[in-house]
Amino acid sequence: MFHHLKAFGRAVGAPLGAIICTLAIGFAIVAAISDDPVLAYHELLFANFASLSNFALFLNRATPLTLIALGVIFSFRAGVFNVGGEGQLYVGAISAAVVGVGLSQLPAPILLPISILAGVLAGAFLGWIPAVLKVRLAVDEVVTTLMLNIIALLLTSYLANNVIRDGTAYGAVSKLVPDGIWLPSIPGIPGASIAFPAAVILAFLSWVVLFWTPWGARLRASGVNLRFAEAIGVAADKYVISAMLIAGGFGGLAGALYVLGIGHRFDQNFSPAYGLVGLTCALLARVHPLGALATSLFYAMMLNGAAYMQISTEVPRSLVNLLTGLLVLLMTARLRRVRRA
Amino acid sequence: MYFLAFISSVFEQSTPILLAALAAMITLRANILNVAVEGMMLIAAFTAIAVGDATQSAWLALLSAVGVAIIFSQLLAVLTLRFQADFIVAGLGINLLGAGVTLFMLEWFYESPGGLRPTEFPDLWHIPSTPSFYIPVFSGMSIIVVIALLMVPVSYLFLYHTPTGFYLRAVGEDEHAARSAGIRVGAMKALAVGISGLLSGLAGAQLAMDKLHFFLPDMTSGRGFVGLAATLFGNGLPGMTTFAAFLFGFFGALGDRLQAFNIPSEFVLMLPYVAAVLGLTFARWRAYRRARPAKIERA
Repeated sequence: MFHHLKAFGRAVGAPLGAIICTLAIGFAIVAAISDDPVLAYHELLFANFASLSNFALFLNRATPLTLIALGVIFSFRAGVFNVGGEGQLYVGAISAAVVGVGLSQLPAPILLPISILAGVLAGAFLGWIPAVLKVRLAVDEVVTTLMLNIIALLLTSYLANNVIRDGTAYGAVSKLVPDGIWLPSIPGIPGASIAFPAAVILAFLSWVVLFWTPWGARLRASGVNLRFAEAIGVAADKYVISAMLIAGGFGGLAGALYVLGIGHRFDQNFSPAYGLVGLTCALLARVHPLGALATSLFYAMMLNGAAYMQISTEVPRSLVNLLTGLLVLLMTARLRRVRRA
Repeated sequence: MYFLAFISSVFEQSTPILLAALAAMITLRANILNVAVEGMMLIAAFTAIAVGDATQSAWLALLSAVGVAIIFSQLLAVLTLRFQADFIVAGLGINLLGAGVTLFMLEWFYESPGGLRPTEFPDLWHIPSTPSFYIPVFSGMSIIVVIALLMVPVSYLFLYHTPTGFYLRAVGEDEHAARSAGIRVGAMKALAVGISGLLSGLAGAQLAMDKLHFFLPDMTSGRGFVGLAATLFGNGLPGMTTFAAFLFGFFGALGDRLQAFNIPSEFVLMLPYVAAVLGLTFARWRAYRRARPAKIERA
């Protein structure tokens, strides 16, 4: 029992240290630019729990982060450096919106699963492309996923502006999806989409699949050492592709659930870099599904809290963007000197 | 005349990509995949506009932009070399930090989150279009474009005809062998990253200072990554990298022209990125074809 606690402590130590360091630096910055840094930080962290509607917003922000982080975890565990979360999120969202708006005459019990499925499949397709290129032609997946992000965002902008555009609204937003397929709220927390508990369940499922099933073990083996995995009979190529399909699917699901549960329409600007932040959450959690749930909740707290902080103290919200960068840098640095091999 | 304007536009669009590609190339030869080029470009663009606005001096703006980019590059170097950070994650972190710092400065210092648009801004030196100087394509080019074009042979000479370049390539080829030979691996990598910062700084300055004279959040729009793609396409060789950079820039300029023909702007904007993915795929496909063993004939 004690051994497990120690192992847990060691695993959590570095990311926790990075978080504390970042918050400390952030506090120093806030102290330099604001008269009331304590209030600022209080708003940043705790205003999320001040009211039910704040809390609902906080949960809504945590949902896409968790889902994207889970997808990233599957791909990283299979050895793929998948930075494509943002693009997968967007194509999932636009697919759900297009299906929802385009096929609105279908009855809701059919339209809802079809919309979600459309989002998942779109995201999975976007994940499949770099996977196949990596596996067949050894094309570096970092660059392809990054490029595909930009391509995907341009594609969704076109679709939102031209195909399913809502003429009455301002900006690149789509028409509302039929309200028969809007996701219900969590009972007791109006405004918080039921997508969040779904994300929590998926986090646990991912943990079980990755660490308690033979399939998951083989996937992780492919990630640790591709050639070794092949030598012991694991068809690593297939696992890499499967992992990226799952990763893309998670991203697409995040987008679909966002459109159906939170925005109820596609908005070209709906994502404050959820893709990259979700990646950060996954890495911060050392690509562990349950850890990612925790880091996503922490991040959602900061992302949401930044708005409250700006309202009460005029500290700009982009402080959180700055701290995100610092956090990523700090969490990947290792303070203990590793002896050179 | 129209054609000449198009060629000028190609040079203008290609220059940030070319500089980013050269920046990525130098680090690639040292076996570093430098994804931070994008962030360094962004911070340089911001610094260029901010300093140019404050001092009304183009030279100061340019120098400070390059300086800030180099500082960021050395931050990356310290984290990765001294503190064993992962290059790609740290690179992404630099990008996030650059985006965050610029946005924060816009919101806090300038109180204008939409962008920084100075009312007056000094001009870079451009090749004059006076009759005695007039070479059709080159006139009107900013000094950074000239520097960028010069950087191609300079980088070639540096990599292949100087001892330092040689050591850098050695570090990239086989780090352990280089260390055994007495080459200071950390210093070489830091140098590569520093040069990368310098070139990225020029790229960012060119982007902001040549025609636009303003800064927008996320101004670089992935150009740093297109440059990275050009380097990977060219396998780290100066010639191919330059070709790829101009190819991608060509598609960018073509995109601007195509907008006039009622093709939706988004598809037109996609062209350089699609070209980058296709180009990378094609390059790897060629390598794959060449590396395939010959068919074994059944006896």
